[in-house]
Amino acid sequence: MIQKILNEFSVNFHFYMKLLAEHIGIIAVSISIAVVVGLWIGILISKKPKLANYIISVVNIVYTIPSIALLGFLISLTGIGNTTAIIALTIYGLLPIVRSTYVGITTIDPSIIEASQAMGSKELQILYKIKLPLAFPVIFSSIRNMVIMTVALAGIASFVGAGGLGVAIYRGITTNNEMLILVGSIIIALLALVLDGILGIFEKLVLSHKLKKIGYKRFTAVIVAVIVGLTTILVTQKSSKDTIEIASKPTSESYILAEIAGELIMNETDLDVNITHGIGGGTANIHPAIEKGEFDIYPEYTGTSWQIVLKKDENYTNDKFETLNKAYEESYGLTWRGLLGFNNTYSLGIRKELADQYNIETFSDLAQFANQFTFGAEYDFFEREDGYKALMDAYKLNFKKVRDMDNGLKYQALFDGKLDVMTVFTTDGQLSDSRIKILRDDKEFYPKYIAGFVIRKDIIKKYPELEEVFKKLENSISEMDMAEMNYRVEIGKESPRDVAISFLKDKGLWRDKDE
Amino acid sequence: MNKIIEYDSITKSYNGKVILEDFSLDIMEGDFLCIVGTSGSGKTTLMKMINGLIVPEKGNIFIGGRNIKDENLISLRRKIGYAIQGNSLFPHMTVFENISYVPKLEGKKEEELSEIVNETMKLVGLPDDIKEKYPSQLSGGQQQRVGIARAYANNPKILLMDEPFGAVDSITRFHLQEDLRSIHEKTKCTIIFITHDIYEAFKMGIHILVMNNGKIEQYGRKEEVFKYPKTDFVKNLIAMAKLS
Ligand SMILES: Nc1ncnc2c1ncn2[C@@H]1O[C@H](COP(=O)(O)OP(=O)(O)O)[C@@H](O)[C@H]1O
Ligand SMILES: [Mg+2]
Repeated sequence: MIQKILNEFSVNFHFYMKLLAEHIGIIAVSISIAVVVGLWIGILISKKPKLANYIISVVNIVYTIPSIALLGFLISLTGIGNTTAIIALTIYGLLPIVRSTYVGITTIDPSIIEASQAMGSKELQILYKIKLPLAFPVIFSSIRNMVIMTVALAGIASFVGAGGLGVAIYRGITTNNEMLILVGSIIIALLALVLDGILGIFEKLVLSHKLKKIGYKRFTAVIVAVIVGLTTILVTQKSSKDTIEIASKPTSESYILAEIAGELIMNETDLDVNITHGIGGGTANIHPAIEKGEFDIYPEYTGTSWQIVLKKDENYTNDKFETLNKAYEESYGLTWRGLLGFNNTYSLGIRKELADQYNIETFSDLAQFANQFTFGAEYDFFEREDGYKALMDAYKLNFKKVRDMDNGLKYQALFDGKLDVMTVFTTDGQLSDSRIKILRDDKEFYPKYIAGFVIRKDIIKKYPELEEVFKKLENSISEMDMAEMNYRVEIGKESPRDVAISFLKDKGLWRDKDE
Repeated sequence: MNKIIEYDSITKSYNGKVILEDFSLDIMEGDFLCIVGTSGSGKTTLMKMINGLIVPEKGNIFIGGRNIKDENLISLRRKIGYAIQGNSLFPHMTVFENISYVPKLEGKKEEELSEIVNETMKLVGLPDDIKEKYPSQLSGGQQQRVGIARAYANNPKILLMDEPFGAVDSITRFHLQEDLRSIHEKTKCTIIFITHDIYEAFKMGIHILVMNNGKIEQYGRKEEVFKYPKTDFVKNLIAMAKLS
């Protein structure tokens, strides 16, 4: 196990180091803002007890908002990316600092403050010579806690498309790769331990008055320099001009498609590509972001756009593509390119031997023999309006037995003979197994979810060479191809990028460049 | 002797409750004035008006003939020493830093500060080797002496002391009293000294002010107060002093 972890870490060392640097950058900015603003608010309300009660209650309420909810809410205001993550982390970081500054200052023996006042200190002198140093232990222990909290919380910031070690964890979750989750979490834990250690040493130095000898001014200068440095790294990282920003939804398939597009663009053109993987909420969040220009390209499914973006009630069928694309071009400044040819939709799978025995190819064929088969689907398929009952009615299906089954166990149950027929997604990784056969939805009961790429029109105009790239991708991936690539990522634990590159090579789309 | 502090028809109340009403008093330069009286009679309130920590609703206070309303309170306070009961030393500062607090605010350089601290520590009878110690490492008596040294460090014209020896044992208090008297003789600084201990008042003071319920019971040289107590209240106090 440890061997595996070390191996994963050393193989992808640069990947993790980049994430670590981003993570540190994000938390450094958030923590600095939280400390400065938190101190300021805390100091302000320490002189106004009435206002303080009010503010502290508000602060306590905000603190109870679940982080996912806050992030989700912020996406609609500030979009996707590091900024949103920093705002959320700053809000959470602010609260303990405000409270501890207030408590730290107001619990100082008033006769000490009065003495400093009586001796002719100005307000500001009382603050930084008396109040802050005396409140230091209280404030600093809350800073210490807050830093640890922020390090951990930054791990979920990749939900809103921010960088940092959460990227590894989130990618691990969505592609079913425990190693990524494990290594990402371990680095976060180590980072928290190291920072806590450093802060602990600093606290000891201050409380034992040893830091005075080094000089607070020199010390502060060093801290400020480090933070400013990290901030500029973070800010400048993103601004190079000819970079195409690609986004992906939090699924293995989206990761692979985004990598295929990204790698092919870099292989064919002089453009650089930056991929932000696994945007939480998928279409609902990526669509507004690409409209605003935060991203240039992302892999999408026609049926999804039809329902979620255009909000149409009727099923999407392939003849509606013109309508869909026209709406995209006219309303959003976006266009569809590189329809890959495969359809990722619901379907039914049957054990191969049964299909051969009864010569079943389509859903209608299945209806003739259904009364001899056991049918399985995940629990919510039986609950949904367009689920079990609708399907049974549409094809007059009538199974011998019906079972609900956890999604992860379905395939094994079918291979073991406990199920004969079950619901599948047409690109499920395990469909590449030869023991199962997919049936054709001959009455088009399910909408078409044809995969393709949504691209900003101005990007195509600016970089016409992209046309050529996406033309090459048209009709290049079959459902089997996609299922196989998903299998390699989810079961084989290969990285989406490696799978993408080997796909491009197999299809003869990859040009070997000698540097 | 010149007037150094003058209360002119002062009125002060807290939350509608009048504490001092139409109060007037002159304090002489170089005096050692002891204020005694029942607890809650307004002694502390009177004292804090001198350095503007408390502002009266009506009336004026003059220091050296100038109305403190027209003065810059910050620079006024730096010329008025302030020492109070218990431990109001800054716990996060060394003895050196505590004593040099005001001169440092005044922008004095490091060498000057050293000189000031050395002199002041000698004046109040503190050993040299505690300079780098923190208040919590000192005995109660030493802490009071550092408090006095801190009040003296910027060469004040006036020294305000509110029950400064209230919290130390009687032997230590005896030494502190002796030393404060000799400091006063050496520096000729005007000292206003609040105490609830009538014996201490007669031992230390040149003038005595006896307060009761915001009113002056008697104000005069201590010999005069001792021989000719004006009211029953003062008589009772003196009887108590004789007992102790
Ligand atoms: N900040 C304050 N708010 C309300 N009442 C006060 C305040 N300070 C003092 N007092 C009241 O004013 C009266 C005089 O107080 P003080 O001057 O401290 O008396 P002394 O020092 O003689 O004991 C007391 O009754 C006290 O309770
Ligand atoms: Mg008092």
